[in-house]
Amino acid sequence: MRRNFAVLLAAAAFLPGTLRGQGLRFTADAFGSQEIVQSHDGAALIPSFNRYTGLLLGGEGNLISERFVARLRYAQGRVTARSDTGVVGRDLVEGEALLGVRAMPWLTLWAGPTARAYTTTDGDQRWLLWTARASARGTLMPGRMQTYLELWGALSGNVANPAEKAGGRGADVGLEMRLGGEQSQLWGRLGYRIDSAHADGLRETVEAVTLSIVYGFPQ
Amino acid sequence: MKRLLVVLLFGCLFMPVVARGQSASDLLDKGIHAYSVREYDGGAWLLRRALAIDGSTASPLAPADVARALMYLTAIEVARNQRDSALSAARRLIVIDPKFRPDENTFTPQVIALVQEARRSSPSVSIRAPGDTEIRPGADVFVVRLGSATAPEVTAAVTTADGRMVQKLYTGTIRDSVDLRWNGLDASGNAPAAGRYSIVVTPSSRDRSAGGARGSWTLRLPLELARPAIDTTPLPAAPPDSLFRPERGDYRSAWHALAPGLVAGAAVLVLPKIVASGEHASSARLIVGGTIAIAGVAAFFSHHPGRAIPENERFNRNLRENWKRNVTEIARRNADRVRQARLVIRPGAPSLTTGDTP
Repeated sequence: MRRNFAVLLAAAAFLPGTLRGQGLRFTADAFGSQEIVQSHDGAALIPSFNRYTGLLLGGEGNLISERFVARLRYAQGRVTARSDTGVVGRDLVEGEALLGVRAMPWLTLWAGPTARAYTTTDGDQRWLLWTARASARGTLMPGRMQTYLELWGALSGNVANPAEKAGGRGADVGLEMRLGGEQSQLWGRLGYRIDSAHADGLRETVEAVTLSIVYGFPQ
Repeated sequence: MKRLLVVLLFGCLFMPVVARGQSASDLLDKGIHAYSVREYDGGAWLLRRALAIDGSTASPLAPADVARALMYLTAIEVARNQRDSALSAARRLIVIDPKFRPDENTFTPQVIALVQEARRSSPSVSIRAPGDTEIRPGADVFVVRLGSATAPEVTAAVTTADGRMVQKLYTGTIRDSVDLRWNGLDASGNAPAAGRYSIVVTPSSRDRSAGGARGSWTLRLPLELARPAIDTTPLPAAPPDSLFRPERGDYRSAWHALAPGLVAGAAVLVLPKIVASGEHASSARLIVGGTIAIAGVAAFFSHHPGRAIPENERFNRNLRENWKRNVTEIARRNADRVRQARLVIRPGAPSLTTGDTP
């Protein structure tokens, strides 16, 4: 355990220098996300609608070159329904792996899979969507404050349990602000995200208000 | 008669060219031969030509041959009744070799007496320089030896061609001999430009006040300084205006700052209807949308016309300072390269000027 920790520490110490040598930069962030899940099931014998809320914790990393960007994101937590409904809560895991091209200094085009899995009493329900995205950034105060807007649509997808083809779309909007002085590498991010995934008779809409601490200049 | 005239004309035209093509020692031999057959005018011309060869076109005379040439030139000028020219040649001889003794079997008593007179009236300071020398200014030294049997008090300095002092080398008495050492730098520590310079030796004020021919004299060793070409880096051009950001706000930049905030704030309100129509969107999004819109408005006011934009001022200042730092650094490296470049010093024939020199 100590050995693994030492290896991780060494990697963290040397990674920025190594990446800079290759003309690469990275950002890493940790976030907490208050999520609201609205779940429709019209395929069941008795159509149902449930609303869940809960906190997810996660992290995101971006590897940025002059032209290309790669993003990995992971979060997990538990969402629960109101206690008076008697509906059982769900464990929730989300993740995405995206590759992007920086078409303009302010515009990046992305593609890649995004996945969400719920663990319920009836078993796991997994959504996998292959998405295409566009994200734009606008500067409010140079080097200090900026906004971003990301829109995505599913190119294809499926849901397991029940096995169905799936589609969806979503958006992410937010504000990023440098924390500390001009040389600080830390940024804060306040974001609002809404995703809607649907399959035959099923619809899951997830809203999230996210607070993140970001290391590195977000682009 | 006509044929003779043509031959003479050709002779006049091509004689100097032929003489220039000859080596200094050839000219010396011919000059000595001319003296022996009493062709004094031709002999004087040949010897002066031999002494004038400085190594740029042909090999110059060795120091011992220079002394011989000057001795024969003295004898020829005595024979031509050119006493001043004879004295001048004899003084040059004494400067180069103070211990030179003319052969009594070769030269007439008048010639030997004139050399003695030159010895008596000259300051009897000699200067001896090495051949062409290459030094690293500031690291190596170029050494010239002053010699004298009469212990005069002198001042020696490197001067420019127009007489401005470059570096003082020595002030004091020459007891037998003194080595003048020049490190190739001027008084402020910089390497001088290529060109013609001299090492000038003059008597100190005390010696000068003694009066007479010995009291006022100047011994001059011409130096030609050359520098091999040095590869220096050109200085970077100043950053163009297009790279500088406006340091005062204007309406355009204010609207540019406001627009992203308003667009993102409005998007938070509108997107739920587009992405998930029919769903009841949470009101928590209004906090996010409101925050972004307020940040946009704050950005607008931070850019309003006439107001200083500290980020842009800092950016421009950094841009200017980086450029200046680069210029300073490259100039320093170039100066280092120039300083470390070798200096080629080519000494010429020394000359002595005295108070009675015509």
